[in-house]
Amino acid sequence: MPPRSGGMPENGGYMVAAYVAAGAIYLIYTALLLRRGRAGK
Amino acid sequence: MHDLLRVTWAVAAKDVLLEFRSRTAFVSALVFTALVLAIFNFARDPTAVSARDLAPGILWITFTFAGMLGLNRAFALERENRALDGLLLSPASRTAVYLGKVLANLAFVGAVEAVALPLFALFFNVPVLPVLGPLVLVIALATLGFVAVGTLMSSMAVNTRLAELMLPVLLLPFLVPPVTSAVQMTAQLFAGRPFSEALGWLRLLVGYDVIFVAACILFFESTIEE
Amino acid sequence: MTPVESAERALRRAVPWIATSLALIAAVYVRALAFTPAEAAQGPAQKIFYVHVPSAWVAFLAFGIVGGVSLAYLLRKDPRLDLLAESAAEVGMVFTSVVLVTGPIWGKPIWGTWWTWDARLTLTLFLWFVVLAYLVLRGAVNEPERRARYAAVLGILGALLVPFIYASVYLFRTIHPMPVILRAGGPTLPGAMLATLLFSIAVFTLFFGVLLYYRYSLARLADARADAAAERRDA
Repeated sequence: MPPRSGGMPENGGYMVAAYVAAGAIYLIYTALLLRRGRAGK
Repeated sequence: MHDLLRVTWAVAAKDVLLEFRSRTAFVSALVFTALVLAIFNFARDPTAVSARDLAPGILWITFTFAGMLGLNRAFALERENRALDGLLLSPASRTAVYLGKVLANLAFVGAVEAVALPLFALFFNVPVLPVLGPLVLVIALATLGFVAVGTLMSSMAVNTRLAELMLPVLLLPFLVPPVTSAVQMTAQLFAGRPFSEALGWLRLLVGYDVIFVAACILFFESTIEE
Repeated sequence: MTPVESAERALRRAVPWIATSLALIAAVYVRALAFTPAEAAQGPAQKIFYVHVPSAWVAFLAFGIVGGVSLAYLLRKDPRLDLLAESAAEVGMVFTSVVLVTGPIWGKPIWGTWWTWDARLTLTLFLWFVVLAYLVLRGAVNEPERRARYAAVLGILGALLVPFIYASVYLFRTIHPMPVILRAGGPTLPGAMLATLLFSIAVFTLFFGVLLYYRYSLARLADARADAAAERRDA
């Protein structure tokens, strides 16, 4: 776990949101590409 | 070279004459100008927002819109008449066609600007006369920049589906450097700042014009059918 | 092997690479979230940096590829170059979108506002518009040769535009100063954070390369199939 000091702002929620959003966009696009690769067989 | 000038002039004169006869785009641009003036007058609180703060932005919105109207018409006419085909006989002709179109569009936008500017000075109470020289220079440079790129873009847009929609989509990002520079310099001129403070923007605008006019001349040929 | 078969083989070969890249991205996530210290002043939200910055680097790399390949196409008229440019634009669009999504999510807790017209985000926004225009233009032209020509012109002009937009935003900001952008850890990054950043950049660049290869192979396959169908019709 990352070390937590006294004065650090509590904004972990944003971190999670950004990581999830980015991951989702990349995963969805990759999945769409792979599906296009399988289509027409 | 003489050939180039001759064809350029012929293309420009034809386009200007055609527009002059029908005048619809010119009138639309002027109507839009009047509309913008009226709306912004009623849309703000005169005690809170000074006309001078708004004027540069509004001025350039109007000029840009007039430019788009002119650009759309220019190539739409060609498509209707297939008149281009007769002109495309040699590589020099293609550059001449491009330059001719740019000249015609400049004439159109210039005419709108010449009418709009005094109106703005009047209704927004901005001190145009003391800075008229530098202001005209700024207007000329920025207009050249966006008309040069716009003429190239409209030559492509006109051959696509959704032609009228395509032009703004293609052109918008390319308007950012010239219009931003123009608005910033216009604001400084209206505020009475010495022109030397605007040198950074001027260099940006001139650089943009040089690079993009050259690039458009170079690549216009690639937008024409073989 | 026919062109169709070799294109299909290229696609199949790429799949393990895609799987590996995704696994590496998961590794980046774990390392950034669990094994990299948070920055004291900004808090955990600063870690968005480890996804945002590599994505931005790739977005601009992709766009550079579009510009360069477009120029090559106008010079050599090889349709494969056009397919490569199209692929780089599409994949680059995805990375650019991630930058535009993670940017505001990072900005809100750090600067208090979803959007500021800072140099990097503004430049990325207009890059996004240019790539969008590129893809829309391609979609609006039916004939392949004209589509390739038009797209190439737009690709080159777009690449020329990028430094001017950067200059515009930079000039604007020096005249209208905005809140200082907090960097991740000051002028130099502490070792652990720098290592995570470099690891992330390497992984996302690899991911881009793999996606680009796959997307390009898809385009080649579609092209090869269309050619084969045309040949059967003519026979």
